Amino acid sequence: MEFCNLLKSSNPVILDGGMGTMLQARGLKLGEYPELASLDHPDWLFDIHRSYVEAGTQILCANTFGANREKLRRTGKTVEEVIPPSIAIAKEAAAGKALVALDLGPTGQLLEPTGTLDFETAVDIFAQQVRCAVSAGADLVMIETMTDLQECRAALLAVKENSDLPVLVSMTYEERGRTFLGHSPACAALTLEGMGADVIGINCSLGPREMPALVEELTRWTTLPISVKPNAGLPDPGGAGYDITADEFAEAMAELTELGVKCYGGCCGTTPEYIAKLCDALKGRTIRAIPRQVPAAVCSPVCALPIDRVRVIGERINPTGKKRMKEALLRDDIDFMLGQALEQTQAGADILDVNVGLPEIDEGSMMVKVVKALQGVTDAPLQLDSTRPEVLEKALRVYCGKAIVNSVNGDEETLNAILPLVKKYGAAVVGLTLDRNGIPQTAQARVDIAHRILNRALSLGIRREDVYIDCLTLTVSAEQAAASQTLEALTRVKQELGLKTVLGVSNISFGLPARPLVNQNFLTMAMTKGLDLPIINPNLDAMMAAVRCYHLLMNIDVEARDYIAAYSGAAVSTSITAGTSGTQVAAPLGERTLEQIVIAGLKGEAPAATEKLLETMEAMAVVDEILIPALDTVGADFEAGKVFLPQLIQAAGAAQAAFEVIRARLSAQPGGERAPRGTIVLATVKGDIHDIGKNIVKVLLENYGYPVVDLGKDVEPAAVVEAVKKHAAPLVGLSALMTTTLASMEATIRLLRAEEIPCKVVVGGAVLTEDYARKIGADFYAKDAKESVDVARQVIG
Amino acid sequence: MPITVTQLNADEVLRYMGCPPEGADAAVRSQVESCTRELLGMIRPRWSWRALEIAFEMEGVRLEGGLLLPGEDLKDHLAGCTRAVLFCATLGAEVDTLIRRAERLDMARALTLDCCASAAVEAVCDQIETELQGKFPGCSFPFRYSPGYGDLPLEIQGPLLDLLDAPRRAGLCATGNHLLTPRKSVTAVLGVAEGKIEAKKRSCLGCPAQGSCQYRKAGGHCGIL
Repeated sequence: MEFCNLLKSSNPVILDGGMGTMLQARGLKLGEYPELASLDHPDWLFDIHRSYVEAGTQILCANTFGANREKLRRTGKTVEEVIPPSIAIAKEAAAGKALVALDLGPTGQLLEPTGTLDFETAVDIFAQQVRCAVSAGADLVMIETMTDLQECRAALLAVKENSDLPVLVSMTYEERGRTFLGHSPACAALTLEGMGADVIGINCSLGPREMPALVEELTRWTTLPISVKPNAGLPDPGGAGYDITADEFAEAMAELTELGVKCYGGCCGTTPEYIAKLCDALKGRTIRAIPRQVPAAVCSPVCALPIDRVRVIGERINPTGKKRMKEALLRDDIDFMLGQALEQTQAGADILDVNVGLPEIDEGSMMVKVVKALQGVTDAPLQLDSTRPEVLEKALRVYCGKAIVNSVNGDEETLNAILPLVKKYGAAVVGLTLDRNGIPQTAQARVDIAHRILNRALSLGIRREDVYIDCLTLTVSAEQAAASQTLEALTRVKQELGLKTVLGVSNISFGLPARPLVNQNFLTMAMTKGLDLPIINPNLDAMMAAVRCYHLLMNIDVEARDYIAAYSGAAVSTSITAGTSGTQVAAPLGERTLEQIVIAGLKGEAPAATEKLLETMEAMAVVDEILIPALDTVGADFEAGKVFLPQLIQAAGAAQAAFEVIRARLSAQPGGERAPRGTIVLATVKGDIHDIGKNIVKVLLENYGYPVVDLGKDVEPAAVVEAVKKHAAPLVGLSALMTTTLASMEATIRLLRAEEIPCKVVVGGAVLTEDYARKIGADFYAKDAKESVDVARQVIG
Repeated sequence: MPITVTQLNADEVLRYMGCPPEGADAAVRSQVESCTRELLGMIRPRWSWRALEIAFEMEGVRLEGGLLLPGEDLKDHLAGCTRAVLFCATLGAEVDTLIRRAERLDMARALTLDCCASAAVEAVCDQIETELQGKFPGCSFPFRYSPGYGDLPLEIQGPLLDLLDAPRRAGLCATGNHLLTPRKSVTAVLGVAEGKIEAKKRSCLGCPAQGSCQYRKAGGHCGIL
């Protein structure tokens, strides 16, 4: 008997029921580790497995749910001591009548960004279990009770990279149809099928009566067999058991055959009796193969995005031709990129392109940092954009969801290097219609390349729906005949190959006046030819307007809801002027001066007031004579207890808005920017995850014109040292909120001193005191954000 | 029972924000109001609990099942109790995301949301405490006590969460450094005494911030009494 044969037959597959609750019934004491049952109570375990086999179970889960090195740490046992006997006992009890699965449960720690466990560490934890199970002779792997799609990916990747075993992957959802972390069945299905799961399922948390809605959602997003292993009803929060009987359980489960569920079992609170009754209820039923059509789609862990209308890909996270973005990459200023991301999604981008390629930086490690940080703040799916396969692979590993890879082309070398990665990580891919010989002139030649790319993708097992073709926009000022060829190729790719299409639009108008006019019209023309995924700057309303109008006029925007939501009440200019940005109408400028605006913290009014001042004042004079004195006034009031933290931050926010205007002005003038001042490195120390205080300090320091490199939270001492060296920072700020993490603060300072780095260290955080700061070797203690500015002035000037 | 929070004490939120209630202007107050609305509209508090026998030993309080809660302070605090109810509560990971996102857009709003969330998790615990007290008629209860108070170490977070099956029931875990994730979460021990015991007040003495408290430094207190 093999797992794949069970799946191929038309009969339901019977799994087992609860293990933890069974062990407790046997006498496992409170505080005893269930994972050690194979060592401490092998007879109990054997009996439980045996009674499941007798009840009709075809696949036993070995007692390895929590047998990972993190959870076993407290028991003093190793994975190698626990997993082999657990599997051996299950195999003995199965006696050839059932298959035995390695049961993989969560590590017990949350992964980044909610927790601190790193993705690769999680992969490694699971890989150790998988290797152990392979040598112990497990028949398959069952990944269960996952609440984090990223942890689930780590486990699945570990299985795929360390075995050839089939794998069933199951997550646990709340009644609202999401996991604790807010991840949806749709996203799980898209992601896990892409990565090579054999069965996708739902287990634990809910009872069988709550299953149909979740199963239906899964069926819309995966063609794989579905497994269901609910609890014996809903649990009592005090641990007093579950609320439905074996008969009720079996009856509710049997109804799921209508939905085409393939594998049936039970989780917490279910017993061999439940499984026996379930078997009876399913007897004689066959599972109809219901044909399922899964649309082209990409996803993040919380947002599944079908490409069933025009979906806008935001192009702004890309250093090409963007001075500010280049600076941000060189300065490790991830926050700038996060700001760009949120600005684009607020403007209407559905997907964000991410390109961090600069010759001066390590593109791979920057890509990983940026992808992780972006997924911490935005739900938009990402398009990973690089020419280097090794960078793409790093990004694909850590990206949680189904990404788009940008890009391959018709050249053999890129197809061979990149398509296998697309397959392994379950992404969609953009195919550029060019090859070694360049961009073909004719539409026909581009369609031929598209065809070649499609065939290669299909031969590797990539779905047709996951191949998006870019027929390439050429600059019309250089080759006027090219635009019509692009549009023709797009039409034919759409019609003849039935593929989704991508197009970078902005390039069309390069070198022409009034570029938005050309861009907008080209975009509209392309959409009418079937463009699905325009890559544009969504912050330009002319572009988003074209998309919204297209949806309106093509009857895609039902009842014009999106259109009306975007434009009702907005005073949109009906003439398209070159370089206009956004629909924002400048707030009416009152009588307030910029100084008053900053002191009052009126962020919305600051940009217009700054613009007005810049008509008559030098940019740096605005900074030195107005902004800094205004911030000083607020700072002094804060120290005197006249205003408090919220007002201080409001003022900083208003000043920041003014600085952005000034910065844009300065970078437009050659040599206009002042020589940069010394950089300040900020970090919340290793082990600490409370970083809002540090983030407030950052905002203030930046407003006083200090370049800040923010390393984030949970930062290793060595990473602080590296950043201080790299940026030759004269000042380092460290924060810690908990007494338990003060030790890492001390370790960080010690390492800085040991490396004899000539920097000053300022520390802050709720549990610190002046005395303690001295004791651990800090140069300064800042009791609040304002004091950290004082320290910076003293050290840097 | 699902826990629903429908309002927050704005003054408490303001104090968490480092702003004495009388020092808050209209703009700050309206920000607190709008953040309270946003937060309460999206949180789904989750919790689990378990009642256990307790025994007093030299090194601390021993829970049924063997876990030792070490230190003198909890021993004193639970004097007169025969049982303890452990519970945990969390606002969930989506609150962390909400705050993280706000930090990139508007730091003042992020601070306000963060402090609203701190107030909300306290409000959730208050409701849970009331609910749990109702299960022990005729008993009295010293105030809830959490790891990090007094000399009760944070290291017991992991074992406490295990006892409560917290990862599975509430999606609540501890990091390798014993911090709770999602961030806006609490674990607590609620003593149960048959009959009357001397009423204990929550005070600065039992607070983990103790000597370094921002409110005390400023000559006030956090308002939790």
